[in-house]
Amino acid sequence: MTFDLDLIISFLPDIVRALGVTILLWIAGSILGIILGFVIAVLRRYGSRTVDLALLAPVELIRGTPFLVQVFLLYYGGPFIGLSLDSITAGLLGLTIYGAAYYSELWRSGFIAIPKGHIEAAQCVGLNRRQTLRRIILPEMTMLLLPSMVNMTILMLKETAILSIISVPELTLAVSALGTKYYAFVEGFAILALVYWALVEACSAMGRYAESRLSKYRFAAT
Amino acid sequence: MSWKLFWLLVEASRLTIILSAVSISIGFLLSSVVCAAVMSGNRTARMAGKLFVSFFRGTPLLVQLLLIYYLLPQIGLNVPSEVAAIVGMSLCTAAYQAEILRGGFASVPKGLVEAANMCGFSPAATFRRIRLPIAVQLTIPALTSEAIMMLKSSSLVSVVGVIELTRMAQDLAASTYRPLELYAAAGFVYLVINIVVAALGLGLERRMSWGRL
Amino acid sequence: MTDTPAIKVEKLVKRFGKNTVLDGIDLIVPRGQVTCLIGPSGSGKSTLLRCIALLEEANEGFIEIDGEPLGFSSGDFGERNRLPAAQTRKVRSRIGMVFQQFNLWPHMTALGNVAEALVTVRGMARKDAEERAMAQLSNVGLRERAGHYPSELSGGQQQRVAIARALALDPGIMLFDEPTSSLDPELTGEVLNVMRDLAQSGMTMLVVTHEIGFAASVGSKIVFLDHGKKIVEGKPDEVFGKPRHERIEQFLDTYLDRGAATLL
Ligand SMILES: Nc1ncnc2c1ncn2[C@@H]1O[C@H](COP(=O)(O)OP(=O)(O)O)[C@@H](O)[C@H]1O
Ligand SMILES: [Mg+2]
Repeated sequence: MTFDLDLIISFLPDIVRALGVTILLWIAGSILGIILGFVIAVLRRYGSRTVDLALLAPVELIRGTPFLVQVFLLYYGGPFIGLSLDSITAGLLGLTIYGAAYYSELWRSGFIAIPKGHIEAAQCVGLNRRQTLRRIILPEMTMLLLPSMVNMTILMLKETAILSIISVPELTLAVSALGTKYYAFVEGFAILALVYWALVEACSAMGRYAESRLSKYRFAAT
Repeated sequence: MSWKLFWLLVEASRLTIILSAVSISIGFLLSSVVCAAVMSGNRTARMAGKLFVSFFRGTPLLVQLLLIYYLLPQIGLNVPSEVAAIVGMSLCTAAYQAEILRGGFASVPKGLVEAANMCGFSPAATFRRIRLPIAVQLTIPALTSEAIMMLKSSSLVSVVGVIELTRMAQDLAASTYRPLELYAAAGFVYLVINIVVAALGLGLERRMSWGRL
Repeated sequence: MTDTPAIKVEKLVKRFGKNTVLDGIDLIVPRGQVTCLIGPSGSGKSTLLRCIALLEEANEGFIEIDGEPLGFSSGDFGERNRLPAAQTRKVRSRIGMVFQQFNLWPHMTALGNVAEALVTVRGMARKDAEERAMAQLSNVGLRERAGHYPSELSGGQQQRVAIARALALDPGIMLFDEPTSSLDPELTGEVLNVMRDLAQSGMTMLVVTHEIGFAASVGSKIVFLDHGKKIVEGKPDEVFGKPRHERIEQFLDTYLDRGAATLL
């Protein structure tokens, strides 16, 4: 590849737009996934046994199958059950459902990890159920789950690349398109890898920072 | 959907299993080297190991696969796409497995190593008889998850033209125009494979468990 | 030289960062006797034991085992010269150590734990090693438990296996770091009994313990450590008898339930 500055400048806007799509999908998918995952976890923990089992099946289905297959099913299979989505919507929906399954398991592990004694202690000093959840369980869980939540969110970013296969106009698709146009796949994908790498490192650095800020809330050694 | 179509998926899943198994095995060997580098006293080796882990964990496998698929011919290696797929998957899983192994070694209680020191064990004997077996036992659940992760990720090699389970479903969906059934069936096959792997992992874990530490 | 002490510690200083944990300790552990190290938590007892076992390296001072320098030798001008690793290993092999947390290897049975070093370090045949290990386990009353994994044993049994493991290597000196502190009270006795028998057999022992009753009855010498310094040292009746040092008085008050009540 001859290094042509004008060329790079000429396709820069496309790349920036695609990067924006990637980041938006990532953030929206993660936030929605975290929320939906929380709802699932709470329903499974505090709902009836039927609810728990009814939610177990979809969660395990999602966790046991490839994201790509889920996306194909949603995007290409959806229209057959009256669910015709454009690629971005399908991508976001797929990402959300996929994330929710994994995040719900993290939330569940958090609920399990909080010592019963802490909750009993809260009730002893007169906090009601909601207050206990808000003032005791959630803060403790934030600390406990932060590292694994950050990891999962990093995974979400990497999974957005897969959406290029159903032609969501995100970063990997944009670079592939340029690669085809100028026959510069290796250069393109190398730079692409570096961009993802930088995003991931930034995300984990932020996670580490948050963890160090929260470290005083760590469980005391017993 | 006819049994014939389903059977084609099952046949194609053979390649999925083979690619995953080969990559996980190569990745395991590679990860031992990377883990040794990360834990070594040599600064350069340590940096190189960390960089490897960080890069392959920090970039999407899809991008790694595409990069390797196009890179290999450019450096004069005209290999079948299956080989490119194995190279990409092995490198990626090696990074994850190295991190898992490192965590396993870090979780070996210090007191157990000190007890070995007090009994006169050489560093090599301590490694072989104490740290390694305990670290391996501690990492079996995580390694099982990683194997399942790789089985699922192997669906990505469909984009470089390897006709494994996902690609077969794709091709059949295009020719029969029944994507709903075919992708659901493909998902089902993945699920069955993963349940078997999870069960194997659990069995191994149980066989190797000497109770809690 | 029959009066060479089993352990001689000279002006030992150990710092963790800016924190001076051992502040110029001198200590003599006579052969064939039980020396008990007592003191409040955080006073540096474990650190002293770990320095003697060379699990930690002291910053200053010297340690001799049976008259031979450990880790460092003293030069002509009192400077510290690092000794070769082989020499250190040889000297250290005379020391056995028992930890508060037992530290049994979880992937080996009780028998395996005791036999392992005989095979791996001493190069004995597995069969001979197991025979010897079995004899050691019998000595601590655990013959029937030989095939059990640590996770299947009670704390007291685990600690007795740990003692057997150390003894199997024929150490001349045994170090104990609060061997009963992580045990339920009803399991403490079985471990203390094993230690009592061991003392009776003439083993040189240095024991960190909060079991004041044990220290007073089995110890021939009591050393009281506080803030990394040796405060009091002497025979049990000297240390515990009245009038006592004011710090000892305070200390005994805190350990009434560990046999100290009888001394008050
Ligand atoms: N590895 C270490 N790093 C830093 N400080 C330590 C370490 N080990 C012990 N200390 C400190 O040394 C002091 C003495 O500890 P220790 O010897 O364990 O006391 P004791 O056994 O008498 O309770 C304590 O203040 C402890 O915090
Ligand atoms: Mg201590």
